[in-house]
Amino acid sequence: MPRCLVCYKWTLDEKDIKIKPDDLSLDTARAKGKISDFDRNAIEEAASLVERHGGVAHALTYGTPAVKQSLKDALSRGPESVYWIADNSAETADGFVTANVLAAAIRKLGPYDLILCGEGSSDLFNQQTAVRIATLLGLPCISFVQKITIEGDTIKATRKLADTTEVATVKGPAVLSVLGTINHPRIPSLKQVLAAAKKPNQEIKIPELGLAPECLQPRAVRKSVRGFAAKRKKITYKETSAAANVANLAGSLAAEGLC
Amino acid sequence: MPGIFIFSEDTALAKQLLTPALELKQALAQPVTALTLSEDSAKELAALGADKAVFLQSASAWPEGLSQAIHGLIAGAGGSVFLVGGTLRGKHVAAHVAAKLNAAMTTDAKSLKIAEGKLLATRLLYAGLALCDEELALPAAVTIPPRTFLPPNAAANAGAVETVKADADPRVAISDVVQGGGTGVDIAAASKLVAVGRGFRNRGDLKLAEDLAAALRGEVACSRPVAEDEHWLPLERYIGISGHTVKPDLYVAVGISGQVQHVVGARESKVIVAVNNDEHAPIFESADYGIVGDLYEVLPLLTAAVRKNGGR
Repeated sequence: MPRCLVCYKWTLDEKDIKIKPDDLSLDTARAKGKISDFDRNAIEEAASLVERHGGVAHALTYGTPAVKQSLKDALSRGPESVYWIADNSAETADGFVTANVLAAAIRKLGPYDLILCGEGSSDLFNQQTAVRIATLLGLPCISFVQKITIEGDTIKATRKLADTTEVATVKGPAVLSVLGTINHPRIPSLKQVLAAAKKPNQEIKIPELGLAPECLQPRAVRKSVRGFAAKRKKITYKETSAAANVANLAGSLAAEGLC
Repeated sequence: MPGIFIFSEDTALAKQLLTPALELKQALAQPVTALTLSEDSAKELAALGADKAVFLQSASAWPEGLSQAIHGLIAGAGGSVFLVGGTLRGKHVAAHVAAKLNAAMTTDAKSLKIAEGKLLATRLLYAGLALCDEELALPAAVTIPPRTFLPPNAAANAGAVETVKADADPRVAISDVVQGGGTGVDIAAASKLVAVGRGFRNRGDLKLAEDLAAALRGEVACSRPVAEDEHWLPLERYIGISGHTVKPDLYVAVGISGQVQHVVGARESKVIVAVNNDEHAPIFESADYGIVGDLYEVLPLLTAAVRKNGGR
């Protein structure tokens, strides 16, 4: 009966972010928040492990004050309760700061048999938080996992890496990061959404974590962000005759030396 | 004496890491040490200009399990920059070392330079929608995607090769290792790609794309849903933020709407062509040439036109 903790990040939905054509700056004014894509896989995995084996799943998140908007969504996806750390330091946090905060919170909340993370966040996709948390906590880490089975306190994780598949076996507690292919996150039912409103959430304030000030200073500082400008010809053939369009395209490709 | 360290379990990628490492050597005036998992790899990297190449001799062939040993060597030498091949295994090793060193880590750097004693790296944000310059305090770990750099030419003087015994993490046991499983097609090496998306109604219809790819003497690739959800093609053919990044001469996106998560994997292609029945599909914004039309009508005609031209 594992005690699971799943970490997630509340990010901007990149679909809603526009690039301003004049200076390539990002317009996030209309961007809604979402639980980071792969973190939804992690939450789903925690929920389904508890459904299969019993035990309990809690969720933990660290973000700006906007993170409060995520609590009901997270709880509707299965966890029994959610702990949240809302702090402006999250605005500039890098992998170093994020892992320091999450590891300190886990020390305070734990012990857990299994700590789950997504393989990377939708916004920064730095792909390091799970390994960093494990290292800080002195726990083994199995990263980029495709399938998890639990037998007693033994965790078996199938990993899929480029052209290799392997099974990593470890005795818990351990930290695992999951790939987006591990499952299909549920779309919460109305019942689950209503039940989420009754589940507990608890704020943890940064000072409670007892972190030295330098632990909250990012080692990687984002200096400038600019939208990617595609420099493409954008020539579209849209005659009603497919044959005419293909003849035009074939001509263009021949001119490029491509066919 | 501080130094620059490189590591990849993939020798070809380790050679590519030497190029930025040797540039950093100029800027920092520090030697380059290559950490490797085979003696042959160590010799090759020493011949290409690593001042020292260390073969980590271990009972385990699991790179992630050597993270502690790798940290020990880097910390012992006061390493300043750790460049790691950006495979998933490499990212695991880099994150462990960065955490142990309380250090910065940037993932999938596109470029690197030293400015005012700090490392400047450029990387993608929001699945490729944006680029970001990051300033990393030293020491720092950086992972670099495959094929970002070409390997250097042979050095005038080969570096030293040594063997160090390395203990593996005893807590994790590895079993059921299956190599390959794919068809061995290297999508990233193809000069022409025909990428298929959700616009195809069923698996059998991919024949239309295979015919075009054959006429172009290229390969068939796909978007994420075609591989992950439909399982019509193996994951090794999927282009996108968590799949392959490719740079072919020609990329033909067929029935792909063009979400940034897909386009980011193909946008370094020389010429991008889109075929889609939705005139407003975002793929046309990322394409040089596009045809608005039914792929079932367009593809056979295009294949015939390419065949007629000789499919250079």
